[in-house]
Amino acid sequence: MAFIKLNDLEVEVEDGTNIIEAARQHGIEVPHYCYHPGLTRPANCRMCLVEPHVFFPPAGKVVPDRQLATGCTTTVRTAPPDRKLDGKYDFIVRTDSPRVKKAREDILEFLLVHHPLDCPVCDQAGECDLQDFSYNHGSGKSRYLEVKNVPPKKDLGPDVLLYSTRCIVCTRCIRFCDEVAGTGELGLIHRGSHDEIDIPRDHDENPLRLLDNKLAGNVVDICPVGALISKDFLFKSRPWFMKQVNSVCPGCSVGCNITVDYKEDGLYRIQPRFHEDINQHWMCDDGRLGYHYVNSEDRLQIPMKRVDGELVPTSWADALNLVVEKFSETDPDSIAIIGSAQATNEENYLLGKLAHEILKTESIGLFGREPDEEHKFPQFTIDADKNPNTRGARDMLKLGDDASLTEEVFRDGIANAKAVYLVNGAPERPLDETAKQALEAVDFLVVQDIFESDVAQLADVVLPGVTFAEKEGTFTNAKGWVQRIHRAVDPPGEARTDWEIIQQLANRLGGEMNYHFAGEIALDIAENVPDYQDATHQKIGDGGVKLNGGNN
Amino acid sequence: MVQERRILYEHLDVPDINTFDVFRQYDGYKRFEKAIKEYQPDDICDMVMKSGLKGRGGAGFSTGLKWSFVPRDIEPRYLCCNADESEPGTFSNRYVLERNPHLLIEGILICCYAMGISTAYVYIRGEFTLGKRMLDAAIEEAYQQGYLGKDILGSGFDLDIYSHPGAGAYICGEETGLIESLEGKRGQPRVKPPFPAVEGLFHKPTVVQNVETLCNLPFLMGNGVEWYTDIGRTYGDTRFDPPQSDPNTGTKLYCISGDVNKPGVYELDLGLTAEELIEVAGGVRGERVKAVIPGGSSAPILTHYELECRLDFTSLTLWKSMLGSGGIIVMNETRNIVDCLLNIMKFYAHESCGQCTPCRWGTPWVRDIVQRIADGEGRQTTMQRPKFGVAEGGRWGDTGEMEEVYEDLDLLESVANNIANVDTMTWNTICVFGIAVSWPAVSYLRKFRPEFEAAIREGKLVTLSVEEATVPPEENYAYQQRIVPSLFEAPT
Ligand SMILES: Cc1cc2nc3c(=O)[nH]c(=O)nc-3n(C[C@H](O)[C@H](O)[C@H](O)COP(=O)(O)O)c2cc1C
Ligand code: SF4
Ligand code: SF4
Ligand code: SF4
Ligand code: FES
Repeated sequence: MAFIKLNDLEVEVEDGTNIIEAARQHGIEVPHYCYHPGLTRPANCRMCLVEPHVFFPPAGKVVPDRQLATGCTTTVRTAPPDRKLDGKYDFIVRTDSPRVKKAREDILEFLLVHHPLDCPVCDQAGECDLQDFSYNHGSGKSRYLEVKNVPPKKDLGPDVLLYSTRCIVCTRCIRFCDEVAGTGELGLIHRGSHDEIDIPRDHDENPLRLLDNKLAGNVVDICPVGALISKDFLFKSRPWFMKQVNSVCPGCSVGCNITVDYKEDGLYRIQPRFHEDINQHWMCDDGRLGYHYVNSEDRLQIPMKRVDGELVPTSWADALNLVVEKFSETDPDSIAIIGSAQATNEENYLLGKLAHEILKTESIGLFGREPDEEHKFPQFTIDADKNPNTRGARDMLKLGDDASLTEEVFRDGIANAKAVYLVNGAPERPLDETAKQALEAVDFLVVQDIFESDVAQLADVVLPGVTFAEKEGTFTNAKGWVQRIHRAVDPPGEARTDWEIIQQLANRLGGEMNYHFAGEIALDIAENVPDYQDATHQKIGDGGVKLNGGNN
Repeated sequence: MVQERRILYEHLDVPDINTFDVFRQYDGYKRFEKAIKEYQPDDICDMVMKSGLKGRGGAGFSTGLKWSFVPRDIEPRYLCCNADESEPGTFSNRYVLERNPHLLIEGILICCYAMGISTAYVYIRGEFTLGKRMLDAAIEEAYQQGYLGKDILGSGFDLDIYSHPGAGAYICGEETGLIESLEGKRGQPRVKPPFPAVEGLFHKPTVVQNVETLCNLPFLMGNGVEWYTDIGRTYGDTRFDPPQSDPNTGTKLYCISGDVNKPGVYELDLGLTAEELIEVAGGVRGERVKAVIPGGSSAPILTHYELECRLDFTSLTLWKSMLGSGGIIVMNETRNIVDCLLNIMKFYAHESCGQCTPCRWGTPWVRDIVQRIADGEGRQTTMQRPKFGVAEGGRWGDTGEMEEVYEDLDLLESVANNIANVDTMTWNTICVFGIAVSWPAVSYLRKFRPEFEAAIREGKLVTLSVEEATVPPEENYAYQQRIVPSLFEAPT
């Protein structure tokens, strides 16, 4: 630990911390653009200038250094005892001296000389570092009278637009593609004040490559200004009109930490949220852009039952009664409960209880999306398992680690069943012919789902559940992190939170569950499921907890 | 009358000196042979340190000191010879390449032997096609003669030299821009530290050295430290001497151009005054000297009052200018300083690598302001200021005289100072290109302010007489501060 004097504070920071982070840790903002904690540090924006102090032998005392230093590249280290400043400090720095303030004002003035000042039509307005720092540190007037550069707007790839006029050439986007994605699609063309970000093009300006890697959307997040814009979000909403909750991406078993931006009428945007051990600062585009199903018009909104071969809407009471009736008539050994790798731990736990304690059946299976390819990047991996909670579902349902999600295992699970209660909840889950046949062979199939999916279409009773954005609960990712999702929007129509459906069904089948919210279930999980002792909602918080304290 | 002392350039005009055989007749490679036979590498480093040799590429940094920073336990280490010579007004390296390339190879050999380096690159300005051809031929010959390659002269010392052409960017002459370019990237200077001596080419310790610096080595080797330190003007004969603790030894290839009768490269002892130098170059062409750029276009300008300044690394720093690359441009009474600044600012606006904010957008801004002034569109207002500052007891409403305020001149100075500050000698940029932009700009403006004001007032470029155009010494910021070594002063 280094002992430093930061403005008028005396603080300890870890060796190797740069001034921006050291200040941030102690509530002091050092404005910056090019620095991003997940990328290398070119120190090109010059916004983060701070004033280090050095010992000056001729004066025999510590004085402000002649040059200001960039806070992003200046790191603090413990000094040897004879090199301490003022006898005790390893480093002395001011982030608020008149010199620093002047430098910030000057840099901001330069940053704005070619800027079109088009905040009223810019998506970034409201969450723009250029706006914010100008407001906090800028001078408020421009002395620039000359002609502004007007570089062209560019379509860089499937989801990314570049408004070049707003670009401050911080190169974060280039470095992201080089360092994290390793794909290197972006670069600078021209030179000096004509610098422009671009993709490779031929002599007729036709793209030779597009910014289309699976991590491309991250450049939009890290662009400190409104230069890189997501087509998906373009002109959809002002940031201040949206609400935001923390959550976890349901796209695969990496379990990237995310924020969900929403309004009453649905989700608007998903962005990554930092988690040191899981996704760092990033997420993939499958997860980022995969939320649209939540807002879909085609969502299941009302229970359905099969009448003369057709699924027709019905009431919850009717649907549940029908299930109770059929299940009561069936020999418990012929009832199969199929949990879901898409469902939360809480839901799967209740399903397990229903199977083990109420129905007393041994036929328990797991359903989920089939694995896809794994995508590896230098600093990021997208998992092959396209479910957010395979591991948790196995733990809750007491299935072995080898309970895989392949079609064969699934078919075996329902082979001898006469009645099946299957929870799906995947945004899409096509069935192959043999799986269809196996499900068709079941006498009475209850499917809890969010769409009229391939499985739901075969059901005798369909119960409308909800998506990750409409409920509370936890997922356990492939690495054993238990993390929370949060409800953003209301379920559509009469759809109900999945654990409530399971509880109601269980109670109608003779159970005595009395949970009022998902967190209550998690308390039981913590008590009863091995390794989940810390997995209460309170302890999980926003950062997640590792199974068995990380000792597995 | 000061005499030329030709050392590096002594044999430049010998026919066929570019061939191995002729070069050999003039002691060629004998100094290198002496080095490997009679000296340990450390001894040579020691000699270089004692010689006081300063880098000739621009910064004037002690070569021996630079070598001492190179960690000897990291392999491999590299030498990059900087032959990018692109500073306007500078053309001395070029003649070495074109006429006497073996001398450079010998210098490189001595440096690499001293530093335990076995790979050297010569980064040659792209336009120097002849120079590159000549150097390549000489390298080829040196390989054939056993002076390059493996186990040179049976000494166990290996060296390969590669020449690499630049692609037309001034900034690739900056040592880390050069390294990036050599690595195949955009020529953009790196953040220092780490300095190249510690982490340079391919992240290995790298010595970057100018052609002229390296060409000093054979002569230092051949004649010894004492001979070398004796070269350089004896001090004490001008009013403004630099501290003797920082001697400027050896000769300098001064490139003299502009309004002199005999422009060209002159090899002279370091420490000559500007006056003497102009005399050597045949005197001023035209009536009289109006201004002198002492060190390539990056150097702050000198007025005719400042011609007694010694043109060495230390003295010019004290005069708030610099010797830089030694490109001296003389201007006579017909030159317009505004026009001259515009020319230079066009160059820098074009050449900024664009990496860092103040230089990328500040440099073209400075150019545009100067352009506006030159076009006669500079802004000026008449203002009535309070008689006294409020601080001095004045009151609001105390009216003073009507005063001309040249807004664009204030703006010009302020914008330039925001890139790199002349008064505090600091810069907000990644590399010192920022200084090369702002220090000249501010010096031209402050020292020749009447000419700038005239352009604004008259709405067109007006060339004033030397006296009228120049700010008198007592108002000249550099002249006033010249004796105080402000660089070494504690900031307050
Ligand atoms: C903008 C800029 C351009 C430069 N151009 C050159 C050049 O063309 N040739 C050169 O030798 N040094 C040039 N330098 C200086 C180099 O950075 C470096 O100091 C020099 O090559 C070191 O060699 P020396 O110690 O032998 O002078 C330039 C520096 C700057 C900041
Ligand atoms: S597009 Fe955005 S991230 Fe990329 S260089 Fe410009 S400002 Fe930086
Ligand atoms: S890697 Fe997986 S969890 Fe992360 S964003 Fe992509 S789909 Fe979502
Ligand atoms: S000062 Fe200018 S030339 Fe140097 S790195 Fe910055 S932009 Fe490039
Ligand atoms: S954040 Fe430090 S220079 Fe950009």
